[in-house]
Amino acid sequence: MSAIIRLENVTKTYPMGEVEVHALRGLNLEVPQGQFVVLLGPSGSGKTTTLNLIGGLDRPTEGKVVVEGEDIARLNDRRLTQYRAAKVGFVFQFFNLIPTLTAAENIAFALELVTRDRKAIQERTAALLALVGLANRGNHFPSQLSGGEQQRVAIARALANRPSIVLADEPTGNLDVETGRQVLQALRDLNRQEGVTVVLVTHNTAIAPLADRVVRLHNGTVASDEHNPHPAPASALNW
Amino acid sequence: MRPTMRRKTWRDLRAAWAQSLALVVIVALGISSLMALTGAYRDLGASYRHTYDSLHFADVTFRVRAAPTAAAAKLAALDGVQAVTPRLVVDTGYELPDGVPIRARLIGIASGQQPAVNQVYLLEGEFLSSDDPQGVLVESHFAKAYGLHPGDTVTPIIMGKKTPLTVRGIVASPEYLIVSPSRQEVMPSARTFGVFFVALNELQRLTNAQGKVNEFCLLFTPHADADAVVKAARAVLTPYGVESATLAKDQPSAAALKLDLEGYREMSNTIPALILLVAALSLYVMLGRMVRSQRQQIGLMRALGYSRRQVAAHYLAFALLIGATGAVVGAGLGVLLARGITTAYATELGIPLIQVRFYPDLLLEGVLISLMLAALAGWGPTRAISRLRPAQAMRLNPVEALARGRRTLLERLLPWTFSLTVRMALRNAFRARRRAASTWISIVFAVMLVLMSWGMWDSMNYMLDRNFRQIERWDALAVFSQPQTSDALNDVRHWEGVREVTPALVFPVTLKADGQHKDVLLSALPPDQTMHRWFVLDGVSPLKALQDGGVLLTPLLAQNLSLNVGDTLTVQTPFGDKKVVLRGLVDELYGSNAFVGLDTAEAWTGAPVAVYTAFYVRAEADRLTALKKDLFRLPGAASATLKRDMERDWRSLMNLFYVFMGFLAVFAGGMAFAVLFNAMTVNVLERERELATMRAIGASLRRIAAMLALETVVLWLLAVAPGLFLGWYVGDAMMRSFSTELMTLQAHIETHSYVLTAVGVLITALLGALPAIRRVGKLNLAEATKILT
Ligand SMILES: Nc1ncnc2c1ncn2[C@@H]1O[C@H](COP(=O)(O)OP(=O)(O)O)[C@@H](O)[C@H]1O
Ligand SMILES: [Mg+2]
Repeated sequence: MSAIIRLENVTKTYPMGEVEVHALRGLNLEVPQGQFVVLLGPSGSGKTTTLNLIGGLDRPTEGKVVVEGEDIARLNDRRLTQYRAAKVGFVFQFFNLIPTLTAAENIAFALELVTRDRKAIQERTAALLALVGLANRGNHFPSQLSGGEQQRVAIARALANRPSIVLADEPTGNLDVETGRQVLQALRDLNRQEGVTVVLVTHNTAIAPLADRVVRLHNGTVASDEHNPHPAPASALNW
Repeated sequence: MRPTMRRKTWRDLRAAWAQSLALVVIVALGISSLMALTGAYRDLGASYRHTYDSLHFADVTFRVRAAPTAAAAKLAALDGVQAVTPRLVVDTGYELPDGVPIRARLIGIASGQQPAVNQVYLLEGEFLSSDDPQGVLVESHFAKAYGLHPGDTVTPIIMGKKTPLTVRGIVASPEYLIVSPSRQEVMPSARTFGVFFVALNELQRLTNAQGKVNEFCLLFTPHADADAVVKAARAVLTPYGVESATLAKDQPSAAALKLDLEGYREMSNTIPALILLVAALSLYVMLGRMVRSQRQQIGLMRALGYSRRQVAAHYLAFALLIGATGAVVGAGLGVLLARGITTAYATELGIPLIQVRFYPDLLLEGVLISLMLAALAGWGPTRAISRLRPAQAMRLNPVEALARGRRTLLERLLPWTFSLTVRMALRNAFRARRRAASTWISIVFAVMLVLMSWGMWDSMNYMLDRNFRQIERWDALAVFSQPQTSDALNDVRHWEGVREVTPALVFPVTLKADGQHKDVLLSALPPDQTMHRWFVLDGVSPLKALQDGGVLLTPLLAQNLSLNVGDTLTVQTPFGDKKVVLRGLVDELYGSNAFVGLDTAEAWTGAPVAVYTAFYVRAEADRLTALKKDLFRLPGAASATLKRDMERDWRSLMNLFYVFMGFLAVFAGGMAFAVLFNAMTVNVLERERELATMRAIGASLRRIAAMLALETVVLWLLAVAPGLFLGWYVGDAMMRSFSTELMTLQAHIETHSYVLTAVGVLITALLGALPAIRRVGKLNLAEATKILT
């Protein structure tokens, strides 16, 4: 399998007033197509930063972020925007649904980036809502949904444009265990059924058994990298 | 725009409906004040011109001693003369039903049909028919003052005899839009001066002037050379003794109207411009804040793959929708208000032909400015935020993250330890500088607008009060057309109820200096008199100035004549040219007053005994009505005026001013409320998450409310002084621009106005924070810490 994502000697430094914060210090990582990777690490170890770089939400200070053979760190803003719209789906820790749009509209909001065919948008929205088990909640506003439901809408939105990569940042961080398991299972199924590459970030070691591979980050570098030949089903996880 | 994005625009507007509405109100007020106040000013000018045009207001009026009616034909034949109307004008007396004598002017015009020049506009009844010698048309101001209608009887005194005439119609005349008997008497005097139009031949008969007229009103052809026509006409009329030739612009009513309008020119342009400016700036600040508060959503849109341009378009649409709605509401409101103001004012003045127009340039100006700033406010922050990397934009609580918490100067300076609530309020007020600054500006604006309108009201009242309480200290003034001697003076001194009488000489003069000249009424008073108090601005004491034979002028006159204290000027009097020295400048309400010592003027007349043309009288209050009657009955009396009537006339002349001020106050108040409401709401919305967290960890709503209120008070404290200063400064500039020859004005703001403005704004600001505080109470704590704000 060829690597769909390749990070080469990536550093990321944030200026914080007088001092500098070194979030990543020469990170190397390759993720093959179709893999389900968990990035594990304590708070502040650089997980979110890594995910943001892969998703084109931020640029590295040094190093290369190569996705599907292209160094996205070098793309101009227009190309980077296109990249995000077409290739990547995000699931954020805080769901980040637009509060003034309904569940269905939040999904359509992403779909409209790639098509203007209303009927297609409607059908795909319905299918995605069904996929995450929210077929009858399309007309609810985020404030009318539970945290788990919101997170599942966010997953549906992330999948809307059939991205080749889904990036999930602490997707269970704000959910109870049962809901968390459902969300994780949804991601896992997606990976298995659609072949989508998933990079999931968490500080929760209990989630690790779900993954094909567990990469531990510490202080902005890879501390360990383990393959897991027998991933556990989400229902077996507990925390 | 994509359909869902479009939907989001509407939903965002609906979600922030109260703030959006407040912004719509702000824009609408800005635009409508421009259209209403500036529009009304233009409408008034247009109404005058229209009235003059359609009633064929004379281009020049010749007064002669006596001429045959037929002379009109000779004038009509002149080049450049379109029409001529010969008239017989007789100034006489009139006795009111209660016996009070006033002045009357009878104007004889050919009956049967409207004159070609200086037509009258029938408001009630009919024009004089040719077989109706007893008929009279009464000028509308007088008719209104005394409730006259067709069918009533009026009794002017003709050749010493009360002559009953029957009112056939009530008319407006272009010559008496402001009723003013002569150029020197600028004050309207509808109650003391009646104008009556009667049949020419009947008036000739009654005054033994068969076949004679004394006035010719000329209308020029469109492109006539005015000077040449006047010259030619003067030549024709010379055999009949030309007394005066008055051009339209010098005609008393026209000149007074011009002065009146002049005062409003600056004000009607500046005030709306100022309101619009405040509106536009508030819109910019508030809209910018609203957009900035969506920082995380902007980051999200960018993360999802929306381009900068798409995101900018979304917020631009949001901003423009608010701007455009405000513009539409403002335009509608503006047209209605302009109509209201114009009609109210024109009706008050008795301008019959009202022109209410729509001024597209004003609408365009207002709309353009509002939309431009709306666009800027929508576009600027969006652009800045979407330039950030999405990861940066989406970071939680950017305001909190960017502004470091720290101890405030106040905390460090003051020795005691504040409670935590106070400390938090203080730190919050200074923590997010941009937020604090924009709230602060809103408070400054609010204070400024309110104080300015309040202050102008104060100033006007102050100036009038000062003039009628402190400067003018007489109760009645009698002016004589024939000079009086000391005998008459001593007589009046012994009348019942009379406490004091001061004689004066009052006569028209022309002041000349430095090639400039100015026609004024010169008052010669005893230097030690107590009837008219002089407030000296520059120069020596009035007593000394007048004893030395000097002259006192108002600053405006001195300025018009380029004179400084100590300079010499020439006074052209009926008794020859006299040289006098300007010894002082005096602060007077009326902008063109000039004074010399009575002895000085007596010397000029060359009369063997002292003569007087005016008596200032101080008397018991309950004797005033009778006193006025008795004064007018003195032989040679031209007028008798009570100060209290004069004050009432002045105040009524200020009606437009009060209408303006009323509207300004409404605009300012509405604007201040909308601005403050928005500032306070956004202030809370921007920190919803933070406040929810505070609630979550157990802070009571009361404590949060106290903290927010305190924060508001801190900003208010900082804003009050600059706001009051600006309000005073702008108000003063306004009042100065409102000053004309008619009256001198400057800002005089009462202490209580400062206090009430400051307190009122604070209360409004706190009230404006209420909905926001209630919102905090209703926050769903679990959600508010999660959902994008
Ligand atoms: N925009 C930023 N500005 C400054 N420092 C940042 C920023 N983003 C992250 N950091 C810092 O970089 C380090 C790594 O952050 P992050 O990648 O968010 O860690 P994790 O997601 O593993 O908790 C932390 O010390 C964090 O405080
Ligand atoms: Mg993180």
